[in-house]
Amino acid sequence: MADSSAPQFRRAVVALSGGRTDRPIVALAAEVAKLSHAELVGVHVVEIDWTLPLDADVAGRSEDAQRVLDIAEATAEASRYRLETVLLQARDVGAAIVDEASERSADMIICGLPFRRRFGGDFAIGGTVPYILKNAPCAVWVVREAMPKEQA
Amino acid sequence: MFVLVVGGGKVGYYLAKELIDSGHECVLMEKDRARADTIRDEIGSVVIAQDGCEGKYLREAGANRADIVAAVTGDDEDNLVICQMSKHHFDVPRTIARVNNPKNERLFRHLGVDEIISPTRMILGSIEQDIPVHELLHLAALGEGELEIIEAHLQPGSPAIGRVATDLRVPSGCSLFGVIRNGAPTPLRSDTILAEGDKVIAIGRPDCEVELRQQLIGEQQDQ
Repeated sequence: MADSSAPQFRRAVVALSGGRTDRPIVALAAEVAKLSHAELVGVHVVEIDWTLPLDADVAGRSEDAQRVLDIAEATAEASRYRLETVLLQARDVGAAIVDEASERSADMIICGLPFRRRFGGDFAIGGTVPYILKNAPCAVWVVREAMPKEQA
Repeated sequence: MFVLVVGGGKVGYYLAKELIDSGHECVLMEKDRARADTIRDEIGSVVIAQDGCEGKYLREAGANRADIVAAVTGDDEDNLVICQMSKHHFDVPRTIARVNNPKNERLFRHLGVDEIISPTRMILGSIEQDIPVHELLHLAALGEGELEIIEAHLQPGSPAIGRVATDLRVPSGCSLFGVIRNGAPTPLRSDTILAEGDKVIAIGRPDCEVELRQQLIGEQQDQ
């Protein structure tokens, strides 16, 4: 029986950055998705700078990008849940994630946020997560990794 | 078509917006970060918050593959630099510059800017057409600006009234080719006698203007 206190969703887009937060958020998403048999879509976006046309064949040739998807699928399998993976290329990661969530009528976006400091000073949240928080039409979970012990 | 717009003022903003709405690929460069953020909120992730006068940022913005670079900042010097770098470093096929000071138009053309847009000149031309002054009106610039079409409205006191058009001492580099009389255009013939109220249309170099003014308008009466 599903835990009624857990936030549930029908379809979630899991934003895969290729960083160290991918495994924990996929595992978390899989555990929560099991409760309502929700659909999980892992999306990795290869950002194309303006020196190249948007349809340049970059993502398809990228072994790194494929590895990001493979790791996410393996993590979901380890949790015994299916994760569909999608590879996109876009000018802006945040906008691509939001667009993909909208197109798929997702009711949740799950993204990870590594703990980083700008030049060793203030916490740096970057540009992608604020964009998603500001523009996503659906609910958003941001899973920030723990602060390193020496900085806590 | 990929258009690189440099300058995120009103002109740049609306230009980029219209281009995107028309289905063109467009990127806008604006060096003021706050302004760039505002525009990004309005039209999406096509804004680069960098100075388009610097080559490395032009490169980042994709100048290497731009079909057109439009430099529309409020600063003529910046617009000239942007167009020259685009043309000579990135081989952009077409450069368009906004020129705020009409005195800079010739310099821009001389330095290879493909197309210049002078809002000041446009507004000035519009004002001139609406005011019945004893002045020559600049109707249009031709080619690279070395020729212009001029209209002279013959008012009482004009030395040309009552004279045959071909008898006028038209300066070299200038030619009279038509007259608008009572709203109807007619070609100038050897027997056309100019009359009060005629609008004489001439084509010529800008440096002929002073002599042409003396022939058709007479001495300036407003000064």
